[in-house]
Amino acid sequence: MPEQQAKICVHKLTKRFGELTVLDEISFEIRAGELVAIVGPTGCGKTTFLNTLSKLMPATAGQILIDGEEADPKKHNISYVFQEPTCLPWRTVRDNVAYGMEVKRVPYRERMERTDKIMELVGLSSCAGLYPNQVSASMIQRIAVSRAFAVEPDLLLMDEPYGQLDVKLRYYLEDELMHLWEKLQSTVLFVTHNIEEAVYVAQRILVLSAKPTKVKAEIPVNLPRPRSFLDPAFMEIRREVTELIRWW
Amino acid sequence: MSRAIANETVGISGGREGFSFYRCITNTWFLYCVSLSVFFLVWDRVAAWRIFGDSLAQPLVVLDKLYELTQIRFAGTNLGGHIWASTRRVLIGFSLASAIAVPLGLCMALNRYTNAVVKPVFDLFKPMPPIAWVSISILWFGVGEFSKIFIIAIGTFVPCLLNSYNGVRLVEPELYDVIRVLGGKRKDEIIEVCFPASFPAIFAGLQISLSVAWTCLLAAELMNARDGMGFLIKRGMDTYQPALVLGGMILIALMAWLSSLAITLIERRLCPWKTGIENL
Repeated sequence: MPEQQAKICVHKLTKRFGELTVLDEISFEIRAGELVAIVGPTGCGKTTFLNTLSKLMPATAGQILIDGEEADPKKHNISYVFQEPTCLPWRTVRDNVAYGMEVKRVPYRERMERTDKIMELVGLSSCAGLYPNQVSASMIQRIAVSRAFAVEPDLLLMDEPYGQLDVKLRYYLEDELMHLWEKLQSTVLFVTHNIEEAVYVAQRILVLSAKPTKVKAEIPVNLPRPRSFLDPAFMEIRREVTELIRWW
Repeated sequence: MSRAIANETVGISGGREGFSFYRCITNTWFLYCVSLSVFFLVWDRVAAWRIFGDSLAQPLVVLDKLYELTQIRFAGTNLGGHIWASTRRVLIGFSLASAIAVPLGLCMALNRYTNAVVKPVFDLFKPMPPIAWVSISILWFGVGEFSKIFIIAIGTFVPCLLNSYNGVRLVEPELYDVIRVLGGKRKDEIIEVCFPASFPAIFAGLQISLSVAWTCLLAAELMNARDGMGFLIKRGMDTYQPALVLGGMILIALMAWLSSLAITLIERRLCPWKTGIENL
């Protein structure tokens, strides 16, 4: 793959809560259209990291640049798939998917076209008119993922989106995520505590250390897709990442 | 793909079982009927055997009395007139109070300065039972319509305000985050998240208010009124007509139930997405 220019550039990002340093000068880059996974030991501040990146929390020091400019939710398209389900209960599935674009003031026709396209891709079309309380937990997470992709984000942050689902559904949704990502070419930062999941989806894995959190290692995953959990190369990378974050 | 969806959507399913005597007598609707029949039968017998002397009328006598009132003018108007007199008071008082209390509650939750100004005074009045206002409002406004509406409005105000206030404050913070990450403005947060999210709480407040409103109405009409359902009850008591007293009670209950039903229907219209809580 030819060397592309970095789309996202995080430079010495630091976050302190009083005396406690959670993020300690984290620096890395993400190329356009790349899918990077972030893994780290429990409680290493993964969610704080994402909240700072998405500008929900102000950083104590450091910079986040998108296309060379300081990241700003009002200017850039940053999407966030939260750990908790965050569908708006008063909107139908279709309106939930379109919601991100509505906030971004995407014109009505384009909004509806993109919504229909993405719902088709993730198989939500048949329940477009239902309310979130009428569909299952996995569907709700699927809505959140679709909503995030639909705004064609400069940066898509995913915070353990499938952490609360059972294994079978997770595999299914991971494949679906791959499918969406390949189709829409978004730049994705995928945070997870599940190493297998990280190796399965990512092109590159950033391993975080325990608090104060730094980037401990960067592991490229150059495996062909679709990947197999039983491929020796896959297992080797998984072992390598596991070694890096084991705290026992 | 469509099969995977079908697997995951909630459908309505009901098992079919054969007819049996046991199933018949454990049928909920059958038991409802049993329950009501027993109640009315006991009432009828207790009245017929004069266990409370003359002071309990048989159910049919009560019905008969109500029917009679629709035919004659009683204290200036017939039964419909009395029902309307009371309902009108409730409607005016309730609408006035909720039209002020709901927006005020929302403002208090959204703006801390409004909150700081209104809340101390509100907290002062909050624990006072609305019926405590009956006497003072008669002193202030006399025994006319206004004092009755005033009491109803006072009673309705508190639960309306409290619920819209809490409704906004209990919105899940993640829902705001979704908007903030997308770069939404404060206006988007309020219109897209705050208002719809507080709807169910506001409606719960309206339901409570409405039942308070009927209570206040009755208190006001028992004190002093020339028409209305409370007046019927009072007149029944004064002239020793248990049928009239019971009839008035039944009418008030009926109207309170109907108005609560109306609010439920409006709510269902406005928030079809609401998750219902069984048996609440």
